[in-house]
Amino acid sequence: MMDISLCVKRPSWLVDRKRMRMASNSQWLLLTAVLLYLTNQVNSQKKSTPHDLKCVTNNLKVWDCSWRALFGAGRAASYEVCIEKRSRTCYLLEKNTTIPPLLPGHYEITVHPLYEFGSSKSKFILNEKNISLIPETPEILNLSADFSTSTLHLKWNDKGSVFPHYSNVIWEIKVLHKKNMEIVKLVTYSTTLNGRDTIHHWNWTSDMPLECAIHYVGIRCYIDDPQFSGHKEWSDWSLLKNISLPPDSQTKVFPQDKVILAGSDITVCCVTQEKVLSAQIGSTHCPLIHLDGENVAIRIRNISASASSGTNVVFSVEDNIFGTVVFAGYPPDIPQKLNCETYDLKEIICTWNPGRPTSLEGPRSTSYTLFESFSGKYVRFKGDEVSANENYQLFLQILSSQEIHNFTLNAQNLLGQTESTLLVNITEKVHPRIPTSLKAKDINSTAVILSWHLPGNFTKVKLLCQIEINKTNSEHELRNVTMRGVESSNYLTTVDKLNPYTIYTFRIRCSTDPFWKWSKWSNEKQCLTTEAIPSKGPDIWREWSSDGRNLIIYWKPLPINEAYGKILSYNVSYSSDEETKSLSEIPDTQHRAELQLDKNDYIISVVAKNSAGSSPPSKIASMEIPNDDLKIEQALGMGNRILLTWNYDPNMTCDYVIKWCNSSQSGPCLMDWKKVPPNSTETVIESDQFRPGVRYNFSVYGCRNQGYQLLRSVIGYVEELAPAVAPNFTVEDTSADSILVKWEEIPVEELRGFLRGYLFYFEKGERDTSKIMGLEPGRFDTKVKNITDISQKTLRIADLQGKTSYHLVLRAYTGGGMGPERSMFVVTKENSEGLIIAILIPVAVAVIIGVVTSILCYRKREWIKETFYPDIPNPENCKALQFQKSVCEGNSALKTLEMNPCTPNNVEVLETRSVALKIEDTEIISPVAERPEDRSDAEPENHVVVSYCPPVIEEELANPGAEGGGASQVIYIDVQSMYQPQAKPEGELDSDPVGGAGYKPQMHLPVTSTVDDLDADDDLDKTAGYRPQANVNTWNLVSPDSPRSTDSNSEIVSFGSPCSINSRQFLIPPKDEDSPKSSGGGWSFTNFFQNKPND
Amino acid sequence: EDPQADSSASPLPHLEAKIQQTHSLARLLTKYAEQLLQEYVQHQGDPFGLPGFSPPRLPVADLSDPAPGHAGLPVPERLRLDAAALAALPPLLDVVRRLQGELNPRALRLLRRLEDAARQVRALGAAVEAVLAALGAESRGPRPEPAAAAVAASTASAGVFPAKVLGFRVCGLYLEWVSRTEADLGQLAPGGPA
Repeated sequence: MMDISLCVKRPSWLVDRKRMRMASNSQWLLLTAVLLYLTNQVNSQKKSTPHDLKCVTNNLKVWDCSWRALFGAGRAASYEVCIEKRSRTCYLLEKNTTIPPLLPGHYEITVHPLYEFGSSKSKFILNEKNISLIPETPEILNLSADFSTSTLHLKWNDKGSVFPHYSNVIWEIKVLHKKNMEIVKLVTYSTTLNGRDTIHHWNWTSDMPLECAIHYVGIRCYIDDPQFSGHKEWSDWSLLKNISLPPDSQTKVFPQDKVILAGSDITVCCVTQEKVLSAQIGSTHCPLIHLDGENVAIRIRNISASASSGTNVVFSVEDNIFGTVVFAGYPPDIPQKLNCETYDLKEIICTWNPGRPTSLEGPRSTSYTLFESFSGKYVRFKGDEVSANENYQLFLQILSSQEIHNFTLNAQNLLGQTESTLLVNITEKVHPRIPTSLKAKDINSTAVILSWHLPGNFTKVKLLCQIEINKTNSEHELRNVTMRGVESSNYLTTVDKLNPYTIYTFRIRCSTDPFWKWSKWSNEKQCLTTEAIPSKGPDIWREWSSDGRNLIIYWKPLPINEAYGKILSYNVSYSSDEETKSLSEIPDTQHRAELQLDKNDYIISVVAKNSAGSSPPSKIASMEIPNDDLKIEQALGMGNRILLTWNYDPNMTCDYVIKWCNSSQSGPCLMDWKKVPPNSTETVIESDQFRPGVRYNFSVYGCRNQGYQLLRSVIGYVEELAPAVAPNFTVEDTSADSILVKWEEIPVEELRGFLRGYLFYFEKGERDTSKIMGLEPGRFDTKVKNITDISQKTLRIADLQGKTSYHLVLRAYTGGGMGPERSMFVVTKENSEGLIIAILIPVAVAVIIGVVTSILCYRKREWIKETFYPDIPNPENCKALQFQKSVCEGNSALKTLEMNPCTPNNVEVLETRSVALKIEDTEIISPVAERPEDRSDAEPENHVVVSYCPPVIEEELANPGAEGGGASQVIYIDVQSMYQPQAKPEGELDSDPVGGAGYKPQMHLPVTSTVDDLDADDDLDKTAGYRPQANVNTWNLVSPDSPRSTDSNSEIVSFGSPCSINSRQFLIPPKDEDSPKSSGGGWSFTNFFQNKPND
Repeated sequence: EDPQADSSASPLPHLEAKIQQTHSLARLLTKYAEQLLQEYVQHQGDPFGLPGFSPPRLPVADLSDPAPGHAGLPVPERLRLDAAALAALPPLLDVVRRLQGELNPRALRLLRRLEDAARQVRALGAAVEAVLAALGAESRGPRPEPAAAAVAASTASAGVFPAKVLGFRVCGLYLEWVSRTEADLGQLAPGGPA
């Protein structure tokens, strides 16, 4: 604020008047009145004095100063204003007036109202700092809108010409919308005042389409003059200017068909007079933003990339829909893999990959511009002109004088643009087109001329072409040729080093030098070279016929690469020292000739002829150089090949010939032959005719002066197989313990491999048994003999059993495996000597034992008798008596022995002698017992019939038949009677209660022999049951009826008891008696060894 | 048989055959029109393919919806209306084809169907005209020039969305009119209600 001091000076004439009034007392009242008047005047003067001086400026050129004065200010509008610092300058000014700007510093301003009574001067101290710089209110020159881009364009004048010097200006612009003038944008904008009036522009793009609502714009400014030290203030806001909606009352949705960046936000509004019910983007409904009237908007955030037809935004009113389409996409990607090349040096083709799809198609797709900076030429390309799988490419004509090209490919769509550059020397980027019109013309038998057409202007470059030469059954060959480009585009080259009479297939491709890319291969062109003289004579061999009188000459047709043409015929000639003869021409289809030669040595010559001439002759001597040291060797191959080796022989100067044939082939043995160079020591014979299991004979010949010598003879198989048949074998001889087997060789055709040996199996077995089928070498009872000596053709199998059937199997084996087996059954002969020995030895042993036993028994007969058969048996040992005793004692424990009242039977004791001893019925008297021990005149022949009690029989043998007998007899037979000529068991067998079952005493030593007894004995034997084997050593028989045998385990055995009703014992004859003949009359060695006595 | 009788009876079978053929063609085009409409909405994006989407049936130049009282008219009159509508459809289908060519340049099947539809509806219109002529009911004289060009221009300036709606509308009308034609010809076809 201004610091203004005011000084009031009293006028001098007022002092003089007061002094005069005091002199007159009468005039007091008047004086008072005058005083009051003067006081009033003073006060009046005070109030009308200028005060509150205020100065502002808006352009720094002048200051607008004003002050306040109550009275007279309006009437007395003139003031004397004096400005004084070092000098004094006065102006006659109005109340509010302008003064020129003052230099910095304090100034005294004196304002003196003119023509104003009683007014006083006012003094102010004025400084620039007290001045306010308030720019003039700016004025908007123009406000326009670009509705398509929703952009406002503001234009105004800064009026810089009124400012004395450069100043910075800050403009503040505000944008308001809707009728209630909501500020949507407030922005500052800086410019500089440069002393001239300048029009400024400001653009602003609205998020909301401008059609959606009315928009207002206002502006003010602030001048920031660094040289001005006073107060700087904003100007007032300009008058608002607005953008009205288009004068179209139809409902519309804005923006229409907008292209925006995917992922950005967008506001879409609907300007309508109807109430909008809903809005949706695609299928998604959006909340409405209400604008003026019924207008609404929606805000879409982070919009996704659209499909080809865009994203639909639809507003629905009651009976209609309104919509727009938003195309959300991307700016074009940087063109990738930009490549420019030429096919013909006339036109450049540039290709590229557009990169990431923009999601914008049709009119919104990316357009490309290819610009060449040196020539200034450019071509355009519209992205929607290609389908998805086509290349992006542009063509540009080449100027003949220009090789270096600097390309810039610009890609642009509504969302942005990118570019890619490429600097290229086009002569180094030649990719020739496919050569056409390829032709071949033969020059001679080994060279042709190729010609072709290669479109393009290649006169400035060298062409590098590649010729592919294909020959039947041969790998293709590539040859490069370099040539200068010609204007006619027709090229030719010579291809030499070809084979005569050969079909060649040519094709060609070209590039330029320096190499960039090959063209595609041209079409193939086939050409047959002309014929030439055969390079070699045919490969020949000779064989003598089987009768040895004719020599057969064989030759092989020349291969096409040696025949050099079509062979028309062959000439065969033979010469000796004396003469030379020729056969007539042999047609080309025939490859053998037969010569009748004498025993002289001839040289046979064969030549092949084609249309160009005859081949060099092939020669061979008719006679073979003998070789005494020749062995037959074996060799094995693999697959369809076989390796043959031989030792190096420096004498062999021509070559080696390997001839082979099938060994089973009759006649001249020649299947094929092969020649190898003389320095070779091995070769592989390979033939599709080789078959596994077939034996081939290989003959290795060495050549010396056109004569051949057999060096090696080899038999071999390319693959061995197992023999196809089993060897035939026969039994040559059979004995009781051995078999001699003889077999035949297997024919070579059936052998199918090198014979390694035979396997012979044998075992016991008979025909038609299951064992036959299962004869295997692993079985324990199968014996195997591996015969590896293939020359062996017989085998004797020893250590066999006599009269036994044996199963014999023979099979051969080769390196290919085991062949089939052949079997046979053989029965060994009976071993009679052995049988005799086998019988005699046991019989002899038995006799010896029997004799010894007899002697011993005889010598100890007393003791034996006393021990086992005393004359008077001990009653305690008599079971029968025990029974009676027990019964008599009433032993209840032996209930089974309870007997019915015993009726004594008669026991008849028979004596061979006339003396008969009658025994009372009630007494049982053993004849032994009755015989005194020391009696020398014993009566062993007496047979005594003793009656005894039969319940024992009833007890042990419940045989009704026996009961029917009613009585049993105990027969005592002396030893002597036992040795009577034997007879089968006695007639009592008829009454034998045992019948056909149960234990039978086996040693029947019948006293009498009758036919009936024999029969009975036979019957008895047929009833089976245990039987002693008539071994005298086993005569320790224990009668089952013996109490000893049942009552105790005593080892004391007996030959039975007198109580036994069926016992047959021989009693030891008295010592002093002559022993009977020990030879049991009924025994024989045959029976002794027989398992079954009846057999 | 009397050849005279055959010759006197031949026009009727010929007409029946023509009607039958035209009816078959209309039936076939009805099926094609359904496929075209389905294909069309698939390429316009939502909400065109949504079930509830039903833009107002705004009038299309030279072509109106089949009138509600269409079924009550005599068959020849109905066929006249059918022929007029079928004659107006091809240029509209061409316009739709062009607009879709810009909008969906890679929707080759849709574009081919639109081309085929324009050609086929021309054939059907000619066949209906022939049936009318055979029935002795002439069509209503020369038709005014189609306003398809004006429609295309106005639609293109209006924006993509109205172009989509126009295509939707044209495809719908195409289906309705060929379907209506099929029904009307069915009245004449042997075995039909007529």
